[in-house]
Amino acid sequence: MRRLVLTRRESPTRGGQPIAFLFGLAFALIGGAILLTISGDPVFDVYERMWERSFGSLDTISATFNRAVPLALAGLAVSIAATMGLWNIGAEGQILFGATAATFVGRIFPDLPGPILIIAMLLAAALGGALWALGPGLARAEIGVSEIITTLMLNEVAIRLIVYLQTTKWKDPDGFGFPQITARPEQARLGIIWERAHLGVLIALALIAAFGWFMNRSVWGYELKIAGSSPKTATYAGISMRRKVVGVMALSGAVAGFAGGIELGGSAVRLSENISNGFGFAGIIVAALALMRPSGVAVVALAFSALQVGGLSIQTLGVSSAVSTILQALILFGAIGAAVLSTYQIRLVDRKVTT
Amino acid sequence: MKRRLLLLLSMLLAFTLVAAACGDDAETDAGSDDSSDSDDSADSSGASAVTAAFIYIGEPGDAGWTWAHDQGRQAAEAATGATTITFENIPEGSPEFDQAVRDAIADGADVIFATSFGYIDAMEALSGEFPDVAFDHATGYKSNDTNFGNYFGRIYQARYLTGLAAGGASASGNVGYVAAFPIPEVIRGINAFTLGVRAANPDATVTVNWTSTWFDPAVEGDSAQALLDAGADVIAMHQDSTAAGEAAEAAGARWVSYNSDMSAFAPTAYVASAIWDWGPYYTSTIEKVAAGNYSGGAYWGGMDDGIVQIGSLAADVSDETRAVIDARTDEMIAGTWDPFTGPINDQDGNEVIADGVVPNDGDLLGMFYFVEGVIGEIPEG
Repeated sequence: MRRLVLTRRESPTRGGQPIAFLFGLAFALIGGAILLTISGDPVFDVYERMWERSFGSLDTISATFNRAVPLALAGLAVSIAATMGLWNIGAEGQILFGATAATFVGRIFPDLPGPILIIAMLLAAALGGALWALGPGLARAEIGVSEIITTLMLNEVAIRLIVYLQTTKWKDPDGFGFPQITARPEQARLGIIWERAHLGVLIALALIAAFGWFMNRSVWGYELKIAGSSPKTATYAGISMRRKVVGVMALSGAVAGFAGGIELGGSAVRLSENISNGFGFAGIIVAALALMRPSGVAVVALAFSALQVGGLSIQTLGVSSAVSTILQALILFGAIGAAVLSTYQIRLVDRKVTT
Repeated sequence: MKRRLLLLLSMLLAFTLVAAACGDDAETDAGSDDSSDSDDSADSSGASAVTAAFIYIGEPGDAGWTWAHDQGRQAAEAATGATTITFENIPEGSPEFDQAVRDAIADGADVIFATSFGYIDAMEALSGEFPDVAFDHATGYKSNDTNFGNYFGRIYQARYLTGLAAGGASASGNVGYVAAFPIPEVIRGINAFTLGVRAANPDATVTVNWTSTWFDPAVEGDSAQALLDAGADVIAMHQDSTAAGEAAEAAGARWVSYNSDMSAFAPTAYVASAIWDWGPYYTSTIEKVAAGNYSGGAYWGGMDDGIVQIGSLAADVSDETRAVIDARTDEMIAGTWDPFTGPINDQDGNEVIADGVVPNDGDLLGMFYFVEGVIGEIPEG
C-alpha cells in the first residue's frame, strides 16, 4: 500500500519565499477569477480595483503602509516566539492590553506635551504587552503549561477588561450614556511623515531591522537560535531554557503590545475592543508566510495589508463582502500552501505493513 | 545579509510585477473616471446625479437593524434615482471605516450614511477633511452646521404601541424585556413599552434582563429563557437577533420584536413589532444633498414622519386593543400626545414628570431612570 507523506527538505528551496508567494498569488488569482465569474462579478475590474486602491496612488500606498504596521509588528511578535519553537496565539490580546496600558498613561498625564506623552504611552504599551505574555511564559517555563492555550485564552480576558472599563471606570462622561471610553489626549498622536502614513511606519521598520540584527549579531540571539533548534545542546552549553522561554515570550508580547500603542496613537481616537481589529491573528499568518523570519515579515505584512485594503474596496463594485473575504482567504491559502511546499516535499512511499 | 536583501527585493518586485500585470488590463476604463466622479453632482441639481454610500455594521440579511437600513436605501434609490453603494461588515473603531469612506468618496460619493454608533469619531474627523461631502450618522450625537449631521427616530413611540399589544396579550401580567446596554436609548424604550403595557394591563410589570450585547443570539436566547423561567408570558427585546422570539415560541409564550417585522421567525409567539422605515428619510436627505441644502445638525423624527412605525399585529390582538393603538397612533402623528406625557412616576413611586407635562428632547435623550412597573436595575458606571 502506498501513501503520501510530507517530509522536511534538507534546506528550504532556494528562493522559496518569493516562489511560494508567487505561486500562492497565481493560485489565488485563478481561483478568485473562477469565484468572481460564478458570482457574476467582473474579474478584471475587481483585480484592477484591488490594485488601484492599495498601490494605485501615493495616498493609497501610504494607507497601505499604515495598515501594514500592526500586521508587521504582530507578525514579528509571533516569529520572535517561534525562534524558540513557541506559539504566541495571543498577540491580539497583547495588542489590546498594550493599548489599554497606553490609555492608562494618557489618563494619568493628560497634559504632558505630545511627543513626551506619546513616547510614554508607547513604552507603557510595550510593557503592557510584555506583562500580558509574561504569565503564559512563566507557566510554560515553570510547569510546562502549553502557551498556545494560555495566550489564546488571555485574548478574551483582554477584550472583557476593555468592555468592563468601557461601561464603568473609564466610561466617557460626554458620551450620552453610550458605552465608550474617553478619547485619548488629542496631542498624543503619531505625526504624519508622508501623505497619510504616520511615524509608526518608520518605527516598525526600525524595530524589524533591529530585531534582525539582534538575532544574527548578538550573543542573546545566537543562544536563542541554539535553544530553539536544539534544547539539549543549549542546556549542555549552559543556556537556561527557562529564562529563555520567559524572556522570549515577554519580548514577543512587548512587540505586540507596542503595536497596540501605535494603533492608539496612529489610527484610533480612543481605546475600544476593536482596536486590535484581528491584527493579532493576522500576525500569525504573516509570520507563517514569512516562514517565521523577521526579514520576510515586513514584505509579507505590506502585501497582506494591500490585500485587506484592496479587498475592502471592491465592495463598491457590488462584490459582496462574503466574496471579498473568500477572495482574500484564497490568496492566503495559496501562499501558505506554497510556503509549506517550499519547506516540505511530498513523496509517495510504501506503507510498512506490520503484522 | 546581502542574500537576504536580495530575497526581499525580489519578493517585492515579483509581487509588484504580478499585481501590476493584472492591473494594466483594465487600466484604461477605471483609471480615468475616478478623478471626475466627485465633481459630477456639482454640475447637476437632480437627485439622480447623487451617489450615496451606506456603511453597515453587519450584512442586511433578512431581518433587523441593517436590513431595515438597506430597505430604506433601496426605497431611496427607487425614489430619487440616485446611485447607491454599500459597505458591509465594517467594524466600529477600526481603520476599515476610514478606508470605506475614502473608497466611497473616490467612487464619487456625495453623501455618506453611517449606520452604527461607533463610527462617530471617524465621521467627525472625515467630515472635516472632506467639506464637500455630506456625512450623516445614524444614532450619533456629534454634528456641525455644514456637512456633518446625525439622525435617529423616536422608536419609543412605536414601543409604547407594542406595549399596549403586549399588555393585552399577557395573561399573567409578568412581561420580560431582554435589554441591550444601559444607555438612555434602551432605557427610554423599556419605559415607553412599560407605560404601554400598564395602560392596557395596570397591574402588569416588566422585568428587565441585561445582555450587554447588540447581536449575540446565544446570549439573547438565554436571557429570554431566564425571563420565561421566571414566569414571563410575553418577551420584548432590543437586540438584532430573533433568538428571544425563538425562545418564546418554544416556550409557548408571546413575543414583541424590534427593528423589523419579524413575525415570520416566530409566527405563533409574535404579537407586534416596533419598526423602522428609513426610506423617506434617506430620500429627503439625498434630495437635500442634490439641491445643495444639506446642513448637518440633528434629526430625531417620530411617528409623524413615519420613520418609526408599529409593524403587523397578530391576528388574536383584540379589537379593543387595536382601537386604542389606532387612537394613540393618530394622536402621535398629529403631535397632540406623547407616551411620556405626565404624570409619570419612577420605579420607586416618585413623580418624575408632572401632570400634563411633556419632557423636552434633552430630558428624553438623557433618560436614565426606570418608570413605575419596571423590575430591574440600571447598572451605573
